[in-house]
Amino acid sequence: MLRYFLKRLLSLALSLVVASIVIFLALEVVPGDPAAYMLGINAQEDTLAALREQLGLNGSLIERYAGWAGGMLHGDFGISYTYRTPVAEMIGERLWISLPLALFALCLSTVIAFPAGIWAASKRGSVVDVVVMGVTQLGVAIPNFWFAMLMVLVFAINLRWFSAGGFVGWDAGFLLAMKSLTLPAVALALPQASILARVMRSSLLDTLSEDFIRTARAKGLSKRQALWRHALRNALIPVLTIIGLQFSFLLAGAIIIENVFFLPGLGRLVFQSISARDLIVVESVVMLLVFAVIVVNFAVDMAYAIVDPRLRGRR
Amino acid sequence: MSLLVIEGLDLEIHGAPILKGVSLSVSAGQIVGVIGESGSGKSMTAFAVMQLLPDGAECAGRIDLGGHEVLTLSEAHLREMRGREVGMVFQEPMTALNPIRTIGDQVAETILIHERVSRAEAMTRAAEALRRAELPNDRFPLTRYPHELSGGQRQRVVIAMAIALRPKLLIADEPTTALDVTTQAQILQLLKRLVQEDGMGLLLISHDLAVVADMADEIVIMRRGEVVERGAAKTLFREMQHPYSKALLAASTHVPDRVAEPQEAPLLQVREVVRDYTIHASGWWGKTHTFRAVKGVSFDIKRGESLGLVGESGCGKSTLTRAILGLEEVQSGEIALDGKPVFTGHHANRDIRRRMQVVFQDPYSSFNPRWKVGRLICEPFHLLDNPPKGAQRADAIAEALESVGLRSDDQHKYIHEFSGGQRQRIAIARALIIKPELIILDEAVSALDVSVRAQVLDLLADLSDRFGLSYLFISHDLSVVRSITDRVLVMKAGEIVEQGPTEAVFSTPQHEYTKELIAAAPVLPADAA
Repeated sequence: MLRYFLKRLLSLALSLVVASIVIFLALEVVPGDPAAYMLGINAQEDTLAALREQLGLNGSLIERYAGWAGGMLHGDFGISYTYRTPVAEMIGERLWISLPLALFALCLSTVIAFPAGIWAASKRGSVVDVVVMGVTQLGVAIPNFWFAMLMVLVFAINLRWFSAGGFVGWDAGFLLAMKSLTLPAVALALPQASILARVMRSSLLDTLSEDFIRTARAKGLSKRQALWRHALRNALIPVLTIIGLQFSFLLAGAIIIENVFFLPGLGRLVFQSISARDLIVVESVVMLLVFAVIVVNFAVDMAYAIVDPRLRGRR
Repeated sequence: MSLLVIEGLDLEIHGAPILKGVSLSVSAGQIVGVIGESGSGKSMTAFAVMQLLPDGAECAGRIDLGGHEVLTLSEAHLREMRGREVGMVFQEPMTALNPIRTIGDQVAETILIHERVSRAEAMTRAAEALRRAELPNDRFPLTRYPHELSGGQRQRVVIAMAIALRPKLLIADEPTTALDVTTQAQILQLLKRLVQEDGMGLLLISHDLAVVADMADEIVIMRRGEVVERGAAKTLFREMQHPYSKALLAASTHVPDRVAEPQEAPLLQVREVVRDYTIHASGWWGKTHTFRAVKGVSFDIKRGESLGLVGESGCGKSTLTRAILGLEEVQSGEIALDGKPVFTGHHANRDIRRRMQVVFQDPYSSFNPRWKVGRLICEPFHLLDNPPKGAQRADAIAEALESVGLRSDDQHKYIHEFSGGQRQRIAIARALIIKPELIILDEAVSALDVSVRAQVLDLLADLSDRFGLSYLFISHDLSVVRSITDRVLVMKAGEIVEQGPTEAVFSTPQHEYTKELIAAAPVLPADAA
């Protein structure tokens, strides 16, 4: 198990190095001068030179990479060109919204999907199963921003239970902050929960038809006991894979939902900095998201090993 | 006093009749063997006793187990009965255990469900059950996972689970079908010992007449959901009356007629072949090991000869096959067909490759289910430089199908429209279509029912006579090898330990391992038929 852990950890570090090189080079191979691209065609020559200096475009490739990567290692992401503030600060602020929102949505999605998937699988072909499959089919098909707007109409404008958008800030207290994240989290979670519930159901059905379930029943276990004690953990591997993918998506893919609810999250930051051609911010946020994806994958790998003993001894 | 009495048991699944008036009984300490081919309802009879039937199943008739009317018991009572009164052992030891729970945990579960004991107490008793199934705790700790055990060892875990509470009845559904012959002998020995020690009744289900004949006190023969004949094992084979029973016995001892005499000239020459696998050691800095799967093997196959290759799983049979077919390069030694090497440089020699074909064990998974038969059997044409087209191709397909006893119209069907035996005929047609000289039959009849197997063996003998084919016949089933081969090789741990004319090797084996194999193989009583 320790060996598996160390290997995964090393592969995590290597992936980060490779990813940082790719992101750095992507900026390098952009045709033309990044400084000219950022400032537009009417830029003055001395402004361009100053920006080049600031972007660290003067110096050899390796020096520039070392400067950029080294800076990130101790939290220096550079200074945003459009906002004139340190990128690290900007990202930090946004992360305090995006991360809790992603975790909130993921928890909701899991809490909805597990019981729904397990229930549907244990009563295959029944009314419950048909209803769960139908509802999740809708959940997969309906775009989340449309659902978000519907919720704003019902819960914010008509019922006035929630505010229609914006974030009160963590200073307003945990509960109030969570309340302002609730509608966006639900909007994000429903399609994810639908997918997860369907994966849970089909994975569980596959496992329930395995020979060892029959063995368990022959020992005297009821169907329900066989499901909980033998099938569930075996069915988790594909479910964990999906959860890992969903978390990475939730962290960065919430742009539309953040826009609907006026949440200053990471997605909006990326969107704004791309529009403003602020490559320094784009580069840093992309690196951060890559970091998040890789860490999540590492966590999923560890979860696999906990669930399945066959993986622990593996190379 | 009978332990289990089944009387006039009918079973329908979604209205389709599966069992019709099945009656049999098992007494304490008695072994009753149920023989039948696939679809005979033998496994369903077992599942009916356990009441672990598929959805939509309806039983009528009577099943009496130790005084309980099984068909009238509530699900709660049935759960009490399963595991405590009746234990069950299944065919596939590889999949019958939960892969993510330890063996101790799984055996202890049987005890914990039925008795109010502490976990520690259950574990102690699980260790005892495993010891009785010959997996002593010091060598096989309770913390082992199924994937750390071999097939035979896993089957012992399943047996330990089934006997942990000393049930009155044990049902074993094809318990040794997936195992090697020596492992099979050990498992059967174990079951016999447990029956004697505990005075259990054993319902032993098998397609293999010899296994049942060796073990059972009484034999029941089933066909299409009905019992066609039953009687004492000692006398049944001599006195059986029903034509199906007789046909079944004839099929399982069937020896195809072969007239072709092998010529002296060798067709395939295998010389000092060595096949190594590199095993990557754990860790990036660990040493890599090489595992020698085939250790300097030499033999010839003559033209028109049928050569048998027997050995247990892991002995290197399949590795050798892949090397002969040019699918994997060998590390040293030479393989030549008709004097020309199979490998030139690092590539398989197409000219040689097209002169041999292979037929595999599983007729279900060795075909692409989305292709029609006509396209499937033409696959070997990619070995030809100028594959036949148009009418020529159609003729070749028709000829190949007709030569294996199918109709040329069958080329427009999909593979799922055929039975197991027909699929294996299609596999043979696929091998025949480019008129090879050598066909490698890798467990080609092992998955077939005995009567179908007899037909396929006849077909193979006939084809060999008509086309002068040579066979390399690989099997773990000694009786089949004995019936169809001229000479036989016995392989163990990558080496050929004995070779010679088939009859001589079987009647007077020289090597210890050959003697062991032959002793382990179950045989029908000498007075049968």
